[in-house]
Amino acid sequence: MNQNIFVRRFAVLCILIVLISLATVVQTSFLSPSNIQDILTQAAPLALVVLGQAFVILVRGLDLSVASLMASIAVMATAFNATSNAMIPVIFVVAIVVSAFVGLVNGFLVTKRNVSPFLATLAMMIVLQGIRFYYTQGAPSGSLPDGFRFLGTGRIMGIPINVLAFALCFCILGWLLHKSSFGRKVYITGGNPTAANLVGIYADRVTIICYVICSVMAGIAGLFLVGFVGTVDNWVGRGYELDAIVACVIGGVALTGGKGTLSGAAVGALILILIFNIVIILGLPVQAQLIIKGVIIIVAATLFSKASRA
Amino acid sequence: MKLTSVNQSLRRLQDPSLIIVILLLVIVVITGSVLSDRFGTMRNFMNVLEQAAGLGFASIGQALVVIVGGIDLSIGAVVTASTILMAAVVDLHPALMIPMIFGTLLFGTMIGFLNGYVTIRTGVHPLIVTLGTASILNGAVLIYTLQPTGSVPYWFEEFAYGRFWSVPVSGLVMLLCFVMVWVFLRYFETGRAFYAVGGSPDAAHLSGIQCNKITLIAYSASGFFAALAGAYFVSRTSVGDPRVGDPITLSSITPVILGGLILGGGKGNIFGVLLGVFLISLLSNLLNYMNVSTFIQWVIQGLIIIVAVSIYVHKGRKL
Repeated sequence: MNQNIFVRRFAVLCILIVLISLATVVQTSFLSPSNIQDILTQAAPLALVVLGQAFVILVRGLDLSVASLMASIAVMATAFNATSNAMIPVIFVVAIVVSAFVGLVNGFLVTKRNVSPFLATLAMMIVLQGIRFYYTQGAPSGSLPDGFRFLGTGRIMGIPINVLAFALCFCILGWLLHKSSFGRKVYITGGNPTAANLVGIYADRVTIICYVICSVMAGIAGLFLVGFVGTVDNWVGRGYELDAIVACVIGGVALTGGKGTLSGAAVGALILILIFNIVIILGLPVQAQLIIKGVIIIVAATLFSKASRA
Repeated sequence: MKLTSVNQSLRRLQDPSLIIVILLLVIVVITGSVLSDRFGTMRNFMNVLEQAAGLGFASIGQALVVIVGGIDLSIGAVVTASTILMAAVVDLHPALMIPMIFGTLLFGTMIGFLNGYVTIRTGVHPLIVTLGTASILNGAVLIYTLQPTGSVPYWFEEFAYGRFWSVPVSGLVMLLCFVMVWVFLRYFETGRAFYAVGGSPDAAHLSGIQCNKITLIAYSASGFFAALAGAYFVSRTSVGDPRVGDPITLSSITPVILGGLILGGGKGNIFGVLLGVFLISLLSNLLNYMNVSTFIQWVIQGLIIIVAVSIYVHKGRKL
């Protein structure tokens, strides 16, 4: 096996193992089932966003609007003021449709109007934020059916439900990316859009679908996160846009497009959440998370950059 | 004779983005003067000039980095860290005010240099590098303090609020910086190399330009101007604020884009950025006069970015 591929595939896993061993040494209860359940419950919403973000990064894009979309979807879900659990599927369908529309606009701007993904999604982030705040006037109210709380924090046979949801999405998207013909098109488009067009792939269409996938995943993550937090506020998921990109980079998805796997990205998300957890176990101030995150981003990116150039 | 000179100046304005920004500026000023009798006064314009300075400083730095093909997401964090550094140190030793002005600017320049150094050494995308730096700086600042802290001598307020023949000092300094950067980019060999590096690093390298050196200068300058913006905010509020820079990072990009610079580099006039700063500041001033909620202003800002970049339609490299 080529050394570069080796680094890409297994460096992430090594980091993960080192982190877990470190945490276990510091605190023996780290590997207890309840702590693992907690960590996974926390990681699931971010991991959902990361799955979508990975698709966009694979086609040389970037989606800065995911966190803003998550909060907007969360606010929208509570706006129904639903009390009956029968409304949950309706809320999910509406959320997915709205998110898909947002993704469509992002994708359209990037492909058809040739706007740089950074700017298109940055603008989308600000627009969504403005609409959300205007609707809530800064103080969101509204309520969710009880079932949402169960979706966000509940467990089936000890496995958190949002982790199950993540597993389901991971299987579907993993099949799509690594087994279906669409997945091949994603890699070709990300690797070389011009070549993709020349071999008869509608690169624009593939790119737009990736943006839609990303936004839909963010919308679903928003619903699970608002279920996890229990109350809605205007900043649900704040910072997830950058964390999601960072998780992808740690997981070996190259920002230049066309390189990386979905499982790598998911492990990246897990590493990020583990780091946050370890900072707390070590008794460091919460703010130290930011410093450690910053160092990890640069180090991980450097490692992958060196590996791909060597 | 006259016609040719008009033709020439038109050709100079070939860049459509400049025309659009000027047009938008005129529209904002006319609408404002019609809708509000206080908007069109010299007094108000001077106030806007004073308020625009912070955004202006940050945007100059962002513009320089964007011209060489990078992006700096650590500007907000450098602004914050500079305000804390300056206010905290001067609070303990008031006599150090003047050395600390230079100290803060040096600090910003060093952070920028570090960004540039890591970028060229590792080949990692500047987006990631500067994001990492921002995270580290913010973490350090928030460990030090969670609320506004420190103080500066009273006279330092003159930097933000002082007037020189009724023109705000901060605004004058900002205009001076723009002129100096323009002269640098246009008439200095190093400055012209900025465009070469941003346009095509390979071609620049082949023609004997030291790309790494240029990139380092650009990032250092960005850090310097971010620290200058930090000094401006300290002067406005007399404290160091651990959150003051948060919105600056992204809002420093808007004028750069409006001014016709391209993410990816190699193009654009620095005065376009100045016009972008004026446009954003006047628009927000006008919307405030019209009692438009901040939330709607966000929507408008987002739409302006989308509309501007969709009109300019740049083919070429994306970021």
